[in-house]
Amino acid sequence: MTAAATTNHKPQTKNPLGWFLSEYLGLGLTVLLFLALAPFTPGLATSNNLLNILGYLLPLLIVAIGMTLVMISGGIDLSVTSIIALTSVVGAKLMTGDAGVPTIVGVLTMLALGAGLGALNGAVITLLRLPAFIVTLASMMFLSGFAIWLTQSKSIYGLPGSFLALGQRLPISLALTVVLALAAHLMLRRTVFGRWLYAIGQNATAAHISGVPVRAISTAAYAASGFCAALASVLLTARLETGSPVLGREILLDIIGATVVGGTSLFGGKGKIAWTFFGVLFLTVLDNALNLLSLSQFSITITKGAVILFAAVLDAVRSRFVVRSS
Amino acid sequence: MNRTSRRLLDLAPFLLFVTVLAIFGVQSPKFLESGNLVNIVVQASSTGIVAVGMTFVLLTAGVDLSVGAIMFVAAAVAGKMALAGWPLPIILPVMVAVALMFSACNAFFVTKVRVAAFIVTLATLFIGRGLGLRITETRAMNLPDSFLELGSARWLGVPLPALLFGGVLLVAHLVLTRTPFGRQVFAIGHDVEMAKKAGIRTGRVLAAVYLISGLCAAFAAMVSLGQLGAVSPKFGEQKEFAAIAAAVLGGTSLFGGRGNVFPGTLLGALLIQAIENGLVVVNADPYLYPMITSVVIFISVWLESLRNRTR
Repeated sequence: MTAAATTNHKPQTKNPLGWFLSEYLGLGLTVLLFLALAPFTPGLATSNNLLNILGYLLPLLIVAIGMTLVMISGGIDLSVTSIIALTSVVGAKLMTGDAGVPTIVGVLTMLALGAGLGALNGAVITLLRLPAFIVTLASMMFLSGFAIWLTQSKSIYGLPGSFLALGQRLPISLALTVVLALAAHLMLRRTVFGRWLYAIGQNATAAHISGVPVRAISTAAYAASGFCAALASVLLTARLETGSPVLGREILLDIIGATVVGGTSLFGGKGKIAWTFFGVLFLTVLDNALNLLSLSQFSITITKGAVILFAAVLDAVRSRFVVRSS
Repeated sequence: MNRTSRRLLDLAPFLLFVTVLAIFGVQSPKFLESGNLVNIVVQASSTGIVAVGMTFVLLTAGVDLSVGAIMFVAAAVAGKMALAGWPLPIILPVMVAVALMFSACNAFFVTKVRVAAFIVTLATLFIGRGLGLRITETRAMNLPDSFLELGSARWLGVPLPALLFGGVLLVAHLVLTRTPFGRQVFAIGHDVEMAKKAGIRTGRVLAAVYLISGLCAAFAAMVSLGQLGAVSPKFGEQKEFAAIAAAVLGGTSLFGGRGNVFPGTLLGALLIQAIENGLVVVNADPYLYPMITSVVIFISVWLESLRNRTR
């Protein structure tokens, strides 16, 4: 707790370890990785591939933004990928078929469903005082099982063109992501809500005593995370032209890994949207490069597991180092 | 909260168990036949053994999400060796060694680097799954009959898996209740700082706890191999959830310091298996299994927190 309480200000950069601990680590790592791999990796630095990277990056960034809010409040949300899957199949079910609803209604339903499920997670965690990781683990299993049951594990095709445009026209998805990122950034930096979120993450008891509505704010963070997951689901579902009950299943590690690599602490009280962007950038470029080097899917999974471990170690080292230096 | 409700909460695992038996018994008389009850115990052994290891970890306020992946890697290595013609007496120790290597990794990062246990073991979960898929080349491997024989063997009329489960349970119970190490595990779970001040080498005890969890995962992998006779890419998947659920259902606290393997974890493991077995017996929609399991986990965690708050 003392570690988290003292780490909100910028780490000192005069130390030789400074760069390693600085907030631009994610960005630095990405540049290093890109420069190191570009000569050996055919097609890494082509404009086509960079657009490809961007297309993969946007949904990941959206979910990671929600995860950042939750982590700043000291929690974790393991259910995001299942929320992606469930909103995907529910949205697809609504928008396809003869009685398909208009795209706008479908999208709004998806977003409301995501936010509602997130709020439910948050309410259970705060009202019943249960550990976040076990509650969201249980809801991850439940929602994923529910999505599979709903579709009897079949994918849903035939989505309307106006919906597909949301994920396939890069300017639209880019605009959506930028607006969300800016909103989250401003909310964290400029609003009382943001201050409260950091305060809860640093010391929930102290925040409560100081009059912060801890339960409502924490619940709102999970609701925001569910909303972000649903928005990412809109982009992913539209890009793949499929409502799939296993959508996003493999990106949970990417989301947590990217957030932590960026510098948001697992212990709460510390994090920024910009850091998360750097972390997502790093992981996306890494993934893309490994794919272009035609490594097998297993090796990529192993590498990513190693990356998240590295990120967690970094987080532990960082928080201990900053305590010592302050 | 008054005394009656406190007693009810303490008895919750037992009451749940009886309720589940009653519900499925009414639905289908086949469920309560002695053959099926023995079946439940045998089927519960692999989850139960993992849950015993998990109980040690949970008692220290940690968690080990990598047990299923460890089982998979150990089984994958065993499968490869078996197909290459290695004999069982060599394969089984190798499985233990593989599992211990993995859990030593967990122990290192948790105790030396002091990274949150659930994130370390989440990472090793993915690394283990990737590694296992690589070893098996994502194909199912059918093992020689010697494994299946081991799984269906009986000794003095008791099925071997159940016997191994019983053995693990007995040793774990004695270690936790009768040895200094057991008391140190509880002490660390209660309050690490206090334990440190009392002179307990917390690092060593914590490391041992993750190694025990890995060892149990290796035993569980042996049992599962004996029962399935094959290694599929899904081997051991989500075993960690079942194990946590079993331990917590049995009254072990997620916050550490409170719990027991006997009768707690035993009851928890039997309860989970009874539910799964019951769903099969009454022909429930298989798609419902994960949903029901997650609800059971959730209820167990909730009951546990209620119990926790009454103290």
